[in-house]
Amino acid sequence: MKNVLHWDPPEGLTGVEVLYTVQYFIYGQKKWLDKPECRKSNRTYCDLSAETSDYEHQYYARVKASRKATCSKWTETGRFYPYLETQIGPPAVALTAGEKSISVVLTASEKWRRTLEEGAVSMQQVYPALVYNVSMYSPQSHRMWWQCVANGSLVVPWLEPDTLYCVRVEALVPGPPRLPLPSEKQCISTLKDQTQEWKIK
Amino acid sequence: DGVAVLPAPQNLSVHSTNMKHILTWSPVVVPGQTIYYSVQYQGEYESLYLSHMWIPSHWDSPIAKPECDVTDDITATVWYNFRVSATLGSQTSAWSILEHPFNRNSTVLTPPKTEVTKDGSHMVIELEDLGPHLEFNVVYWRSEPDAEERSKLIKNGGISVHLQTMEPGAKYCAKAQTLVKAIERRSAFSRVECVEVEGEALPL
Amino acid sequence: GQEFQFGFCHVQGVKLQVLRKAFGTLRDTVQAQDNTTSVRLLRKEILQNISDAESCYFIRALLKFYLKAVFRNYYRQASELRLRRALSTLTNNFLALASALQPREEDKVFSLAESARRRFLQVQGAFQQLDVEAALIKAIGEVDILLTWMEKYYQ
Repeated sequence: MKNVLHWDPPEGLTGVEVLYTVQYFIYGQKKWLDKPECRKSNRTYCDLSAETSDYEHQYYARVKASRKATCSKWTETGRFYPYLETQIGPPAVALTAGEKSISVVLTASEKWRRTLEEGAVSMQQVYPALVYNVSMYSPQSHRMWWQCVANGSLVVPWLEPDTLYCVRVEALVPGPPRLPLPSEKQCISTLKDQTQEWKIK
Repeated sequence: DGVAVLPAPQNLSVHSTNMKHILTWSPVVVPGQTIYYSVQYQGEYESLYLSHMWIPSHWDSPIAKPECDVTDDITATVWYNFRVSATLGSQTSAWSILEHPFNRNSTVLTPPKTEVTKDGSHMVIELEDLGPHLEFNVVYWRSEPDAEERSKLIKNGGISVHLQTMEPGAKYCAKAQTLVKAIERRSAFSRVECVEVEGEALPL
Repeated sequence: GQEFQFGFCHVQGVKLQVLRKAFGTLRDTVQAQDNTTSVRLLRKEILQNISDAESCYFIRALLKFYLKAVFRNYYRQASELRLRRALSTLTNNFLALASALQPREEDKVFSLAESARRRFLQVQGAFQQLDVEAALIKAIGEVDILLTWMEKYYQ
């Protein structure tokens, strides 16, 4: 739910000192509202996360450029629906290896918040039907598994001992398709097979 | 403007298996000429509230064969009407309408082709890919008296799915059926397939 | 899975992703045509705090409204084929839903039906205050809000 408005400079004015002013509008309400931090700014983006934090509302934003005494018309966005359009960040992934299994513990990412003092809200709370798509890959056998889990943990059994496995996890929520944001690849090796060790001694 | 002297296609009917719906009709024959056909559809809503409204099938461009895959036109479990007209040059026939509207809940469901294999000590099954509408219920068990049957829902075919780990010396079996939630129906089960893991059971 | 459970009303056979995809085809066109952005029909406060039991009455009223008052009159404006096909998918699935959503006689609770009716009348009232064309466009442009509310009752 970190919602940042981006735009390109007017054609032909790249590199020229242009200042931008941003306003936003809550669908169903009456007037455009200012964003003071994005008034007469030279940046080509504006963080509207605080203004659009109520994800059950829908919003518009608009930008106008000004240079010396002249300014442009407003350019307006389409209707933005944070609940359906925000990308879902990957969960935190903790791996623990066993001999023939790997345990995966997942912690949902947090909703954007203004300050740390503000209570944390998990994306699981925003999207109760959130599920995780866990993919596991074995570099040695070039095999890949997928598994969809609703709760935050799973144990992948039936693995080979003393073998490297790599995991990537993506959070999926209902609604229209969104750009995926999978977690970083994390690898871990299963433990050596103790029974083999006993036989060798 | 084409005058309707060309005969309209006859014997329209829909053949539907595993949620793939094919509209067919008897071809209009003019020796030495290629006849093209246009297909349009109307859902139950359109026939109830907008009876004049017909929507061109997603194939849109005229079709040279006397059949049309209308699977992507039928997107709800309601009644659908279809109509077909024939075109030859500037001549266009009258529309011929499907005698009885079609509802996808009447599709014929067949069990999937299955391949049960072993991957080391793992029992793996691969199911025929029958398209996006179909899911599969796989039932599997260890072949022994009073065996406990377990089942697994598989969302799509064409990929290998791990069923269970097998113990040496035991035989394991599986069968599968096709499921379609959109119409709340399922097929008969496929033929039972078994695999066995050589070797003797390990001493505890 | 893939079923709606609006309190006592249970419906299978309508996939929410199919409705989402169909609306996705219409969305940009319809919402861009909506110039009365200061009006929202399905307001947040109307959709909040609806009990499970009341939800069946409310969704039935909304579906009936969309089927009879909205979609029917918007077809003329959906001249493009891809929009008309998407609209057909929406309307026929709404029809399937509405036909299946019959609360059982023994479950009819007057107070719930009345509460749902009052909510619905707020939507209809706002709709009727607008010019006809603008109202149709707005109602269709808010189907994503409706689908998001329906998603709470979708397993």
